[in-house]
Amino acid sequence: MEELFWVLLIGAAVLWTAVIGAAVYAQKRQVDPSLERQARWFIIWGGAVIPTLLVGGLLAWGMVILRDITSDTGDLTVRVDGERWWWRVTYEGPEGDVVTANEIRIPVGQTALFRLTADDVIHSFWVPALGGKMDMIPGRETTLALTPQEVGNWGGLCAEFCGGAHALMRFDAIVMEPGDFEAWLAAEAAPAQVSEDDPGFAVFQEEGCGACHAVRGTDAAGPVGPDLTHVAAREKLGAGVYEMTPQNMALWITETHEMKPDIDMPPYPDLDGARLDALVAFLMSLDHAE
Amino acid sequence: MTRESDKQPGGYGPPGDAPRLIGQGSVWIMVAAPTIWALHFVASYTFAATWCAKAGPSLAEPRWIIAMMGVICVALIGWLALLAVRRYGGVFVIFEEITESSERARDRFIGHVSLLLCILSAVAIVFTALPGFFFSTC
Repeated sequence: MEELFWVLLIGAAVLWTAVIGAAVYAQKRQVDPSLERQARWFIIWGGAVIPTLLVGGLLAWGMVILRDITSDTGDLTVRVDGERWWWRVTYEGPEGDVVTANEIRIPVGQTALFRLTADDVIHSFWVPALGGKMDMIPGRETTLALTPQEVGNWGGLCAEFCGGAHALMRFDAIVMEPGDFEAWLAAEAAPAQVSEDDPGFAVFQEEGCGACHAVRGTDAAGPVGPDLTHVAAREKLGAGVYEMTPQNMALWITETHEMKPDIDMPPYPDLDGARLDALVAFLMSLDHAE
Repeated sequence: MTRESDKQPGGYGPPGDAPRLIGQGSVWIMVAAPTIWALHFVASYTFAATWCAKAGPSLAEPRWIIAMMGVICVALIGWLALLAVRRYGGVFVIFEEITESSERARDRFIGHVSLLLCILSAVAIVFTALPGFFFSTC
């Protein structure tokens, strides 16, 4: 795709120079009626035939590129479901699906095929640095194939206005070495390590968090909000918006709608200090096993 | 050489010999080719959208139908271009201005415009049908 950009840029520069050059030449040249026939042929070729062929060729080339990025084969398949206003991410692995949220990790040099859909309104999945952007449409599946070339954390976002917190619907798109990615996916697939006598887990259960959030390895299996099995392993909180810190986690629980307006999760302002600390400590412990 | 378009306006001969829709000073030939393009455009997109909504993700069959529609439409436009040349005396490039106020000059102008519109419409149909060759799924 970068190639297309350079071809278009250089092509445009050459054409611009030729057109301006011809205009300057026409200004300087004496009027000569005998040249009129030549001029007409020049207009037909330069103004009609060549542009038609060029535009046709570029159209065909653009479609070849589009076909490649919308192809339905990849080394890895990731389903992403656009919710208001976060991303439900499911890796299709050989040993079953691995569900996570709001962070997408893919291996460098391999083609990741994204199968995109949306929960109730149209979103658009976009990682500008990796190229390509695809609408996520409720009741329909669209696909986008990305082949990252460089390791790094490339930001992604929703590119279709989807309501109140649209601007806060972001995610980290992290490109990793294939070995690191395999290790990450295996860690992500593992259930959470939760001890039943964790006081924070007790608060989690008493407050009914598990009705909306799933923590694999416990009986919390709520399908409404983001999966929290390894929430602390993510770099960001609130769909790519805040740093994953205990302070932000506490604010997220108590001042939810100040952190992100209009979202479905209710705030819990009445959680007192000790219980809140325990809950935050529990959530921050939901990291990958060492 | 006398051409059909050299005829002056007036009687068309015996009753029943009505003027042709395309020929003898009629301007309909100018809109015919763009109309064919427009119909092909609407038919292609409607057909593909309906197919994708009802029949499923494979475009294997519709792409051939769209291509066949394209071939038929381009052939029709080719026939119109032939009429523009034969009946109207249209040429691709006019080297001298048409300023004369006569039936013959008007016909030549209509023929010229129609021929160019035929070429434009044929190119547009190819561009419309082109995605069908590159994409095999909805």
